[in-house]
Amino acid sequence: MKENNAKNLYVVWAIAFVVGLIAFVMKLVTGERLAGYGSYVPWGLWVGLYFHFIGIAGGAFAIGAIGYFLNFKGFREHIRVILLLSACSIVTGLFSIWLDLGQPFRFARILYSPNFGSMMAFNAWMYMVFFAIIAGIFYLSMNKIHQNDLHDKSGWLVPLFALGFVFSIAFPSQSGSFLGVVDAKPFWSSPLVPLLFLASAIICGAAAILLVFTFVFPAQTSVREQPFSMLRYIIIGGMAFYFVAEFAEFSLVFWSPNSEIRTSVELILFGPFWWVFWLVHIGGSIAALIMLIRGSSFKFLGTASFIVVVGFLSARLNVLIPGQAVSQLKGLQEAFYHFRLRYDYSPTLNEYLVAVFIGAFAVGLFYSGMKMLSKITTKRIGTLL
Amino acid sequence: MIPQEEHSMNKEEPKEDSVEKSSELTRRDFLRSAAVVGGGVAVAVGAVTVAKLSSPPKTPTGPETIRTISEMKTVSITEQSDILLRMQDELRAALAKPVEQRKWLMVIDTRKCVGCHACTIACVVENKLPPGVVYRPVVQEEFGKYPNVQLRFFPRPCMHCDNPTCVSVCPVHATWKRPDGIVIVNYERCIGCRYCLSACPYGARTSDYGLYYTENTPEIQPYERLSNNEYGKSWDRKGHSSPKGNARKCHFCLHRLNEGQLPMCVTTCIGRANYFGDANDPYSIVSQMAELPNQIKLLEEKGTKPTVIYLI
Repeated sequence: MKENNAKNLYVVWAIAFVVGLIAFVMKLVTGERLAGYGSYVPWGLWVGLYFHFIGIAGGAFAIGAIGYFLNFKGFREHIRVILLLSACSIVTGLFSIWLDLGQPFRFARILYSPNFGSMMAFNAWMYMVFFAIIAGIFYLSMNKIHQNDLHDKSGWLVPLFALGFVFSIAFPSQSGSFLGVVDAKPFWSSPLVPLLFLASAIICGAAAILLVFTFVFPAQTSVREQPFSMLRYIIIGGMAFYFVAEFAEFSLVFWSPNSEIRTSVELILFGPFWWVFWLVHIGGSIAALIMLIRGSSFKFLGTASFIVVVGFLSARLNVLIPGQAVSQLKGLQEAFYHFRLRYDYSPTLNEYLVAVFIGAFAVGLFYSGMKMLSKITTKRIGTLL
Repeated sequence: MIPQEEHSMNKEEPKEDSVEKSSELTRRDFLRSAAVVGGGVAVAVGAVTVAKLSSPPKTPTGPETIRTISEMKTVSITEQSDILLRMQDELRAALAKPVEQRKWLMVIDTRKCVGCHACTIACVVENKLPPGVVYRPVVQEEFGKYPNVQLRFFPRPCMHCDNPTCVSVCPVHATWKRPDGIVIVNYERCIGCRYCLSACPYGARTSDYGLYYTENTPEIQPYERLSNNEYGKSWDRKGHSSPKGNARKCHFCLHRLNEGQLPMCVTTCIGRANYFGDANDPYSIVSQMAELPNQIKLLEEKGTKPTVIYLI
C-alpha cells in the first residue's frame, strides 16, 4: 500500500515536472511574450511564488531554530532536514524571481553592484548570507559529540543559529516591506503587510516541516506527540492571527466611508478571482484547520499541511495582485490601448505550467537533497539524516 | 523517502551527563550570539545608510558638458515669433551652460490641448516604441453631466520628479536623476525586475516585452527593426538585447536636446500646448508659464515633486 502511494506520488511528480519543463523551455525561448503580466500589473504569479517560497524558507528555519534551542523532540536529530528544506525553498524562490526578470542573465548585477537603499537588493544579499549561514550550521551540526547536543565542538553553532534566526524572521517580514515601501500602491503601503507576510511565512514554514516529518518519522509515532502537536499548534495559532489581521484590515475598509484601498479589497472579495479568496484561501484553510484539529493519522496531517503549503500561496497573491490592479491615475488604461497596459491580470497557461514546474523543481530538489544528505551523514557521522 | 525503521539511528549512544552539559546555553553562547547578531545588524544598517547617503551614478558635469549650437540665421526671433522658435532659441542658450546649471521643465496647457494624440504618436515614432510601450499617453478626463459635459486632456510624460520613487527602489543603480533634472534609465544596467514600474504612481514606466506591430504577418517590417537613438546611443532590440526586457520611459528626448532640438512631443503639438525649457532661466517662456496661478501637478499628495506642470 505504502509502496503504491510512493509510486503514485512519483508519477504525479513526473507528469508535473515534464509538462512544466516544456512550458519552462518555451518561456526561455520566447522571453516574456507568453506571460500575462504587463506594465501596469508588472508582477504576477511567479513573483507570488517567489514570496511564498522565501516565506517557507524563513518560517521553516525560524521554527527549526526554536525547536532546536528548546529541544523539542525530533528537532535536534532532524535539524539538517529542516536546514535542507529551508535551503531548497530559498533556491526555488530565487529561481522563481529569476524567471520573472526581463534580463535574467544580468541577475548577478544585484550582488556585485547593489543599491542597498532598495529593499530588493538588500533582500537579495540577505538571502545569500542566509544561505551561507545554513551551510555553516549544516557543517557545524556534523561536528557534535552527540547528535542530540546543543553545541558543536567549536562552540560557534549556537551563535550562528542565533544569527540565522534573526535573518529568518527579518527577510520574510522584509518581503512585506518590499511591497510596503511602494507608496504608489496604497493597498501595500500598510504596516500590516510585513506582519501578514511574517505570519504566513511561519504558517507555511511549520506546515512544510510537518509535511516533511510525516514522511520522515516512523509510521507508529503518535500524531498527538511532539513534534507534531507543537507544529499543529503553530499552524493553527498562525492562521488564527492571520485571519484576525485580515479581518481587521478588510472590516476597516468597509467601515470607512472613503477608504483609499476599498477597490482593492472589493477585487479580492468580489472580483473575477473571488474564488481565490473564498475557496482556496478561506475554504482551504478551514479544511486544513479541521484536519489539523481532529486528524489522528499521518495521512490527515500530511494532507492538511500540503493544503496549507500550497493554498497559502493565495494569501500572497491576494496582497500582490489587487495592490497593482488599481490605477492611481484615472483614465490611464483607456489612454493608450494594449493588452500589456491593463490593470487586470490573469495568469496565462504558460505561467500556470511554469508555476507547476517550479513546484516540481522544489520537490525534486528537496528529494535529491535528502538522498544526498543521508549519504553524507551516513558516511561522516554514521546517522541516516 | 527514507526507510523509517532505520530512521535516525545514531551509531553512538549519548552519555546522559554530557548531553545535559551540552544542552544548556552558556554565558559564552550569549556573548558570541550577541556579537554575531550585533555585528550582522551593524553591517546591514551601515550598508543601507551608505547607500541612502551616496550620490547617484556619475553624470559628466562641468565645462565639457557645454554644447555649442549655432544660431538660427534665417529667422529672427522676436516676442511675436512662434513659441516653438522662441523655445528653440532658449534651448540653445541653456545648452551653452554646463549641465548642472540647467533644469529642464515642462508645462502643459490643458486649455490648448485638443486631445489629438499627435504627441503620443510622434513620441512612438521618434523613439521607435514597440507595442505595449508608451511614453506619453493622453489621459482624457470627462466631467459634468449631459448636456453640460466637458472634456479635458492630460498628456502624461514622465514627471521627472524631484523626489523620484522609481530611483530609490532600483536594486542596481540603473536609473537616476541627472543634474539637469531628467530621470534616465541605463539600459545596459537594468535587469528588468520592474520594481520601478510598481513604484511610479503615474504609470510612466513601461516594460519592453519584445513585441512587434507586424508580428504574425508574413514578415516583421524592416522599419520596426530600425535602431532608435535614445540616450544618444543606437539600440536595435536584436535577439533579446536591450531595451527588450528593460524598463522604458520618457527622457524628454535627451538625444534631441543634446543636439539643440526640442522634445518631439513639444515640436509636434499642433495647439502649442507644450512649453519646455530651462527653469533656471527666469526669462524663459517655461519659467514664466510655471509661475501662473492656474497650475496643478498630478498626484502632488504623493510627495514626488513632479517637474511637469499643468495649466487648467
